[in-house]
Amino acid sequence: MKHLAPLRMRVEKDVITRVARVLVGKGVLNVSVGQQVTPPEIIGMATISAGFRTLDLSTLLSVSPQEVEKLLVKKIGQRIYKGELLAFKKGWLIGGKKVLTSPTDGVLDFLNNKTGELKIAFLPKKVNLPAGVYGIVEVVDKERGQVIIRTQVTRIYGMFGSGRSRDGILHILGKKDGLISKSAIQTEYDDCVLVGGSLFFKDAISACISAGVNGIITGGIDAKDYKGMAGGRLVFPKKLDNDIGTSIVVCEGFGSVPIGTDIFEILSGYEGKFVFIDGNKALISLPSPLSSSLVKIKNTKLPELQNNDLILDVGQIKGDLELKSGLKVRVVGNSYLGEQGKLVAINDSLTLLPSGARDYLVTVETARRKIQVPVANLEIMV
Amino acid sequence: MPRLTGLFDSFDNLDQISMEAIASWLKPVPQLNQLEDYLANKILYPQAISLTEPDMQIDLSILREALRMNGPKPGFQKNNALLGDNPFLNVTLRKILIPVKFLNFVPDLMSLTLVFIDALLLSREKKDYFQDLWTIVLTNNIDEIVGSILLPQFDGSGGVMNLELQSKNYEIRQGNLMLVPCPKDRCEIAYKLQKGKLLGKKENAFEIYGGKLGLVIDGRSA
Repeated sequence: MKHLAPLRMRVEKDVITRVARVLVGKGVLNVSVGQQVTPPEIIGMATISAGFRTLDLSTLLSVSPQEVEKLLVKKIGQRIYKGELLAFKKGWLIGGKKVLTSPTDGVLDFLNNKTGELKIAFLPKKVNLPAGVYGIVEVVDKERGQVIIRTQVTRIYGMFGSGRSRDGILHILGKKDGLISKSAIQTEYDDCVLVGGSLFFKDAISACISAGVNGIITGGIDAKDYKGMAGGRLVFPKKLDNDIGTSIVVCEGFGSVPIGTDIFEILSGYEGKFVFIDGNKALISLPSPLSSSLVKIKNTKLPELQNNDLILDVGQIKGDLELKSGLKVRVVGNSYLGEQGKLVAINDSLTLLPSGARDYLVTVETARRKIQVPVANLEIMV
Repeated sequence: MPRLTGLFDSFDNLDQISMEAIASWLKPVPQLNQLEDYLANKILYPQAISLTEPDMQIDLSILREALRMNGPKPGFQKNNALLGDNPFLNVTLRKILIPVKFLNFVPDLMSLTLVFIDALLLSREKKDYFQDLWTIVLTNNIDEIVGSILLPQFDGSGGVMNLELQSKNYEIRQGNLMLVPCPKDRCEIAYKLQKGKLLGKKENAFEIYGGKLGLVIDGRSA
């Protein structure tokens, strides 16, 4: 008997595509259409307009709001740099000593003596835009501050996600089955794309947003947390885009599910490299680190762009395929979710499962064991 | 992404079901966040079938709440008389409509029927005594009648219903539920109730639809 299973695209290697590089503020682009670029090449520069940050010094120093001013090391109106001493409170023998450093570059703008809150105005900052990829410039849109580059990437398709397209340096936090809590998120991960294990807890996601992490790649997520970032609904495929300040791609499903070996192995090879992440499309693009990719990029023509907009045709399910021994498969559903392996046998007759349901069972050989699962709970991996 | 068929394909609001409501059908009660992840994976991978008995119990609980949420709403008939009844319950014709594809995921027809009774009939306000009798229909391109449901109305505690079907006698006590085989297309029954009524009478005889399931007598409702 012929058994069909959905064919799921998980990893697509060496695809010629377009990526967008966008200035973070107003600025200039210094490339032209047709120009060949390399990852470190600066293709534009932007000035980030000033904002501010408020610190509750009364709470941080454990003093009354009126006492804050005399504990400040710098005066209002003075410039301060990130990590520089901001306030100091002497302690006693049993403790109480407090040392506060500035979390950002800026100017001490205003101290509210009634609340003990200090406002630090950011210094206008110039930010360079590197190309990030080997490629050919196709569009320079000065109005939007956007450059579209034809390049070669390896694409990873997650199951679902949230957040607009972002980029950053990929950093792997640990094993593919680790649980990521708040303590794993450090301030130096600012602008990074973090690869977690089987679950990012809610407090870890919040810590990522606070630390300025650009993206999160995880095997699983709690349904409640995902609902919180997707407008309270679980609809697949997603009908509305959303963004919570960082982009998240979930590779397997809900709950604690280790990232699949196929994806994790590829991501491990990109540690410390520049990557793109689009949570709303559940897509991760890993630019080719090889200059030799320029040959293929130059020789490949892509369909014309419309209105200079980057619309990616992405899809994960590519129809159904007949199950055969030797195929690489992935288990879905609530038992053995995300386990991957080689299909070694298909039963000829229906089996009554402990649940009372009947289906044809297949034997899958994973890296550490052999499991039997119903045909309905399989996907063929590409 | 093509839609893959599954037990819950007929519902597009599964994510709106309260976890407390699903948990109320389960013993032991699982952690609510685990239940929420389980349901979310059902929505994400609709084609997957349950492997274990506890998973099947969770599926049936989700189905109860999904049916309840998508069951007929009070006042619906008044406002939308032309549109008829609900896809799972035809109140006018007193039919429970079970999509035949549900049997691919829950092959036990009795368990499936019980889920429909729990969700759609048990706490339903009865407007007339005709709603003590329902026909069970498996819906597909051609519908198949598989049996009937009797909902005797007991007056207080200690009610008993004595039933005769195909020359056999059965006794159903208040609070209990019984499945009586009745494989013919139509079966004649005779009943007598102590401390209760069925179809407005303490004692009567009439014909009901039979089928491969038979006659379900549910004495659980007050």
